[in-house]
Amino acid sequence: MTLTEQILARAAGRTVTPGDEIWARVDLAVMHDSSGPRRIAPVLAEVGNRIWDPSRVVVATDHFTPAANVRHAAILRQTRHWAKEFGIGRFFDEMGILHNLLLEKAIVTPGMLVVGADSHICTVGVHGALTVGVGSTELAMVLATGEIWLEVPRTVLVRIEGERPAWLTARDITMTILGKLKADFALDRAVEFDGSALAALSMDERTVLTNQGVEMGAVAAMVVPDERTYEYVQRLGGKPAMELKRPDPGSYERVHTFDVSDMVPMVACPPRVDQTRPAAELESVTLDRAYLGSCAGGKLADLQAAAALLKGRRVSIPLTVVPATRRVYEEALRTGILETLVAAGATIQAPGCGACAGLHSGLLGPEERCITTATRNFPGRMGDPTAEIYLASPLTVAASAVAGRIADPREYLGREAAA
Amino acid sequence: MSVLRGRAWVFGDQISTDQILPGRYLDRSYAEVGQFAMAGADEEFAKKVQPGDIVVAGANFGCGSSREAAAVALRQAGVGAVVAPSFSRIFYRNAVNQGLPAVAVPDVEGFLAGDIIEVDLENRRVRNVSRPEVEKPILNLQGVSRQILAAGGIVPFVKARTGAASGA
Repeated sequence: MTLTEQILARAAGRTVTPGDEIWARVDLAVMHDSSGPRRIAPVLAEVGNRIWDPSRVVVATDHFTPAANVRHAAILRQTRHWAKEFGIGRFFDEMGILHNLLLEKAIVTPGMLVVGADSHICTVGVHGALTVGVGSTELAMVLATGEIWLEVPRTVLVRIEGERPAWLTARDITMTILGKLKADFALDRAVEFDGSALAALSMDERTVLTNQGVEMGAVAAMVVPDERTYEYVQRLGGKPAMELKRPDPGSYERVHTFDVSDMVPMVACPPRVDQTRPAAELESVTLDRAYLGSCAGGKLADLQAAAALLKGRRVSIPLTVVPATRRVYEEALRTGILETLVAAGATIQAPGCGACAGLHSGLLGPEERCITTATRNFPGRMGDPTAEIYLASPLTVAASAVAGRIADPREYLGREAAA
Repeated sequence: MSVLRGRAWVFGDQISTDQILPGRYLDRSYAEVGQFAMAGADEEFAKKVQPGDIVVAGANFGCGSSREAAAVALRQAGVGAVVAPSFSRIFYRNAVNQGLPAVAVPDVEGFLAGDIIEVDLENRRVRNVSRPEVEKPILNLQGVSRQILAAGGIVPFVKARTGAASGA
């Protein structure tokens, strides 16, 4: 059985095969200010207005923080009141992005079934959990019953092999995969990542693999847990929900294998996440702004990578930096990363989803061109529908912010890195 | 389940929820979002669409954000059904949960803008009334999703399943 099937079998209390329709017990139900109480409260009231188990619920405010207008402020207020009224112990108010909080606090652990009202909840599958994104009404039904109806998906294995060059980031890996297999290659499937290259990726970097799962069309994405996963989770006090057995390769519907040793820095050109090209081929593309942030690209490793490249350099276009969480902000402050970024000309903003969700704090105007570590480049994603969003790694974003055009970061990382 | 009939509005592949309901309208209530339906693809759509009209689109319709407001906006605007070769899973669930049929067919060739389209959920086929030679089988909407749709959405479905309406 694949990891996906092992977790669903436990949650359903029966054996499962792909295509089965099951009712599964949910270990954790999560939401944020946009998808949460303001949408959920009215429907929850229709089905009894009670939560099956408030200790299994997490709420974070991250979309409308800090409030850019009075509507946002009213939504945040409603969220706080609701979390209090329903006794939500794990309510994280303006602490950063929900997904990243669930990981840095090890609330999500291997073997869990997590349901979240956000498409990028797939991100937390990096801890070896099965995570399903849903809309608000469906999450309200989970809150009422503790159960969700699911179709057991077929599982695709993506093996990532080889030795990674120092300048190659996890985002370059996901963009290479998307460029080759296209954005719907895993439609209605679960994706599991494994392979010899994963050992060299930190937990922060692995997070990008699962984060981009939804861009691959997947219903869930997971990294096969290894020693690093278990150590990380246990060090933070998290306990695995079940014992997972390493799946037999024959249990997957398909296996795709990639070798990182021949990958290069990539950019996804608007308006599609799978329209990828090597950064080196796009150096004629001039830029208006750069944005370093989001659940994919506002982690400590991302800020650290950008700061390493920007040290002693100066950006030539506005660079907005949005740490994913308060802890990332604090660590980046403590270790001098923020000082380096600010000295290079960056502006640091409050932790949260910011402009990646198209809501506030750095939106794009008509025909503006931005390079970013954000999650998506669909038309209108970060503001005006005619704005152009180029997705890239933190290194490529930093190099491009210096150049004022798309730049291959290898040009900036010294001879040994370019070799 | 009934037969739905309406005029076709045709869109391309990979229409994201950012186009169905752009982020700048995400702070609006569900009661308000209908006027912004498809605003990221066609600003005038919500003004022009008539009750019961049918959105015909390419592959992976509703990809991207999980925002349920996308499905709600289409329903509020009067859209009777969405017909496409494939849907993102989250959009599909959101649509069905809102009582909006998201109907998968093998392809959408032969459905042109303005054609009268008939979605027959009972007999599991989509017919082009304007071009009678065009008829496609429905590939999805079976099992639990069919039951949810038949109940009128997930809230009435869960009420019936758990007896929650009576406070039990």
